[in-house]
Amino acid sequence: MQLLASPIGKKVKIADVTTDEKTKNRLQNIGVIVGSDITVLQSNFGDIIVKVRDCRVAMNKDVAKHILVEAVNEEVTTDEAM
Amino acid sequence: MKKSRQMKQCDIKVALAGNPNCGKTTLFNALTGATAHVGNWTGVTVEKLQGTYKDKKSDLTIDIVDLPGIYSLSPYSPEEVVSRDYILSQDADVILNIIDATNLQRNLYLTTQILEIGLPVVVALNMADCLRANGERIDVKALSQKLGVPVVAISALKQKGLKELMQVVKEQKGVKREAVSFISSGILKESIDEVMLLLGDSNTNHKLFDSVKLVEGDKLTLEKYQSIATQIKEIKDKNQEVKDKYKGNYETCVADQRYQHINDNFSDVITADKEKPAVSKSDKADKVLTHKFWGIPIFLLIIFAIFHLTFSENLFYLSAVIPDGAFKDAGPVASLFVDTEYDEEEESGANSIKSPGVFLQGLVEELAELVNGERVVEDGFDDNGEPAQVVEEEGGWIPQLLKNAPDWANGVICDGVLAGVFGVLSFIPQIMLLFLFLTILEDTGYMARVAFIMDRAFRRIGLSGKSFMPLLMCFGCAVPGIMATRTIENDRERRSTILLAPFFSCGAKSPIWYAFAAVLATTVGWNSELTVFGMYIIGIVVAMIASLILKKISGQKGVTPFIMELPTYHTPQFKSVTIHIWQKLKHFVFRAGTVIAASTIIIWYLLNFNFKFQMVGEEECILATVGGWLEWLFKPLGFGDWKYIVATVTGLVAKEEVVSSIEVLAGSVEAFVSKSGVTTAGVVSFMAFNLLTVPCMAAVGAASGELGSPKRTALAILFWILTSYFVSMMIYLVGTYWWTVFIFALVIAIIIVGAHFINKKRFAKDDMPNAKEIK
Repeated sequence: MQLLASPIGKKVKIADVTTDEKTKNRLQNIGVIVGSDITVLQSNFGDIIVKVRDCRVAMNKDVAKHILVEAVNEEVTTDEAM
Repeated sequence: MKKSRQMKQCDIKVALAGNPNCGKTTLFNALTGATAHVGNWTGVTVEKLQGTYKDKKSDLTIDIVDLPGIYSLSPYSPEEVVSRDYILSQDADVILNIIDATNLQRNLYLTTQILEIGLPVVVALNMADCLRANGERIDVKALSQKLGVPVVAISALKQKGLKELMQVVKEQKGVKREAVSFISSGILKESIDEVMLLLGDSNTNHKLFDSVKLVEGDKLTLEKYQSIATQIKEIKDKNQEVKDKYKGNYETCVADQRYQHINDNFSDVITADKEKPAVSKSDKADKVLTHKFWGIPIFLLIIFAIFHLTFSENLFYLSAVIPDGAFKDAGPVASLFVDTEYDEEEESGANSIKSPGVFLQGLVEELAELVNGERVVEDGFDDNGEPAQVVEEEGGWIPQLLKNAPDWANGVICDGVLAGVFGVLSFIPQIMLLFLFLTILEDTGYMARVAFIMDRAFRRIGLSGKSFMPLLMCFGCAVPGIMATRTIENDRERRSTILLAPFFSCGAKSPIWYAFAAVLATTVGWNSELTVFGMYIIGIVVAMIASLILKKISGQKGVTPFIMELPTYHTPQFKSVTIHIWQKLKHFVFRAGTVIAASTIIIWYLLNFNFKFQMVGEEECILATVGGWLEWLFKPLGFGDWKYIVATVTGLVAKEEVVSSIEVLAGSVEAFVSKSGVTTAGVVSFMAFNLLTVPCMAAVGAASGELGSPKRTALAILFWILTSYFVSMMIYLVGTYWWTVFIFALVIAIIIVGAHFINKKRFAKDDMPNAKEIK
C-alpha cells in the first residue's frame, strides 16, 4: 500500500522505500527507514506531514509516493518487507 | 590555572555537535552570550560560530565551536562535511553532543556515529524537562551507562544544568576513550573486523570510524583508501547475510542496524506514566497553519502585517476612524508618533498614526537634522530668475561648528560623509525591525512550515519550497539569503535561487523606493505605499518569469524531492533573537562607518573636482564627464542622465549609496528628479533598474562564493545586467508608448519558446552519444 493511501492519523509501518539512493539516504538520516512506524498527520494534495519517532517530517508527493507501508498489527518479517 | 591575566588562554576547546532543531543554537547562545563571533569555515561559506564560556568562580574558560546542525556523519551536504572534518581533525578536546530528549531515537542516530570516533564525548540531554511535562521520565544514568559516556541533563532554554555540563566537559579533557561501535556486533561484525584488520597500522587516527564508513561505502572515506578498494569490496561481497537481507545495500544495512540497536536498547530509557497523546499541541497548530487552503492566506496575512508594522505611515489604517486634523496641533514630539501635517486646502491629513518602523526611522532622521542640519526644498528662483525649486540648508551642530572652515572641508564633512552616513543610518531601524520579525518567525518554527506550504507553488516555477526561506531573507539582506541557499540540495535550484536573490528587494534598497515614492506622490499623486509595494511586486514577478526561463534553459525535467523536518512550535527566545539582531546591527553600523563613509568621500571628491585636481562645479566634475560618456547607453531606459548613472554605479558599493549619493549630488531626491527632467516612466524605470541589476559587492561576493567558479559568477552578473536592462527598457517604453507592450510580449514569448526548442535539440543530441564525432 502506498503511504499516500494511508488514512490521516493511522499508524502504519514502512515496508519499502523505493526512491533513488540519495533521497533514501536523506530519509534514513531523518529517521524514515524500513520497519519504522509512520503516521500521516496532514495531507495537502499529496504533500504530507508525517510523524516518525516523535519527529515531524514534511515531504512532497514525489517522495511520499515512493514510500510503501503496511498495516501495523500484521506480523510481517523483515524479509518479506524487503 | 595560575596563569597571569594577560597570558590567559582558553583551557579547553569544545565542538558542539547535534541535529538541527535540537536546541544547539540556544545552548550555544546560553553558554557563550555576547562573546560569539561569526566567521566562515575555510573554503566554504558555511557559517562558523565561535564563542567562549567563562566561569569566574572556578576560573574556567572554554572555547566553543558551534558545528552546523547535522543528522549524520555520512556527508551529503557541505554542512555535514564541515562538521565531520572538524570533529575528525581532533582540534577540539571534547565533543559535546547535544541531543533532544523529546526525540531521543533520531538524535541517538548521530550519537552512535560520533561514538565511533575515539575522542572524549559528553552528551548534553536537552529538554528533559519538556519530557517530564508530558508525563514521561528519562533515566539519565541508564542512558549514560549504555552510551559509555557522561550524560548531563540540561535545559538550554531555561539555562539549567549548564554549569554542571561545563564541569563535566572540563573533567573529560584528556580522558582516553575507546571508540565503540554499536553495529559491530550484528551481521556486520565480520566485515567491520576484517576491514579493521586490513587497515592494520595504516596512518589513521580513527580506525573504527574509518572501517565502519568503508563498509558503509562512504565516498569520502573510500577516496582516502583507494589503494585497498578492491580488498574492501571482496570483504563486503563475502557477507552473505547482508546480501540476503539487504540485497547487498550496505548503506541501508548500516542505517537499519543503527536504528535497530537504538530501538532494542534505548526504548526503556524513557518511561511514560500515561499514554502520550497521538496528536500534540504542535500538530493541532499545524492543522490550521499548514492547511491546504488556509495555509497560504494565513502566511500572506502574517507577512503583510510585518511589512505594515515596519513600513506603514498609517498604522492599522486608523485614519479611517480618526477625524481629519486630529493631530494638527500635536507639537514636535508627538510628530514622531503621528502625522501632524494638515492640508488646509483639502482639509485632510494629520489623522494617522505611524508604525513602529516609521517612528524609529523618524527618530534617526531627527538626530541627523540635529547634527547635520536640514535641507528644505522650497519654491524659489534659479540663477536666471526662472521659478524653480531651490535647496536651503538650515541649522545643524556640525555646519555651525564649521562655519568658518574652508568650503572644501565643510563640503566633504557635511555634504559628503555626514549626508551619506545618515542616509544609511536612517533606514537601519526598519531593516532591523524586519529582521526582528523574520527571526521571530524562524525561531518559532513557523518558517519550516512556510517552506512546506510554498513548495507546491514554487515547484511550478522550477524551484522548491526550500528556495523560499533564502528568498524571503533576501527581503532583509541578500547576503544571508544567498548563504542560506546551502540548504537546497539540488544544484540547479540552488544556482537559480542565487540568481533570483537580488530581485527580492533588500532592506538597503527600500530607501530608494521611499525616496522616489515620496517624489512621485507629489509630482503625479501616486499613493506612496502602493508605489513601494509595486516595487516589491515587480521584483517578485520578474523573479517568477526569470525562474521559468532558467528552468526552460536548463531543460531539467521533474522535481527534486522535498524532505524537511518540522521542529515543534515554541515561543521565540528573547536571547537568541536579540543576539541575532545585534550581530546584524553591528554589521550594518560597521558598514555605514567604514565602506560607506569612505566611498562617500570618494564620490564627493569625484563630484567636486575635475581630472586636473581643480575644484569645479558639478557640471564639469569627473563623474559628470565619465557619466556623460555612458548617457547614450541609458537613453532607451529613460534616464540617460549622468547623475542617475552615477547613483546607480555607486549602488554597487552598497545599495544604500544610491540615495546618499543622490543627496550628495542634488541635496534632496525631490530636487534631483525635478532638475533632471526625467519623465515619470523614466523614474520608475530607474527604480526597476536599481532593483534588478547587479546587487551590492557584498552580495556579489557571497554569490561568487556559493556559485563556486568565476565563470558562473561572470554569467550571473551578465544575467543581472541583461534582466535589469530589458525590464527597465520595457517599463520605460511601455510607460511612454503603451502599444510597445505587444512587442515585449512577443519578445518574451520568443525567448520562452526558443529556450524550449533549443533544449529539445540539445537533448536530442544527448540521445545520440556520437553526435560530436559525426560533426
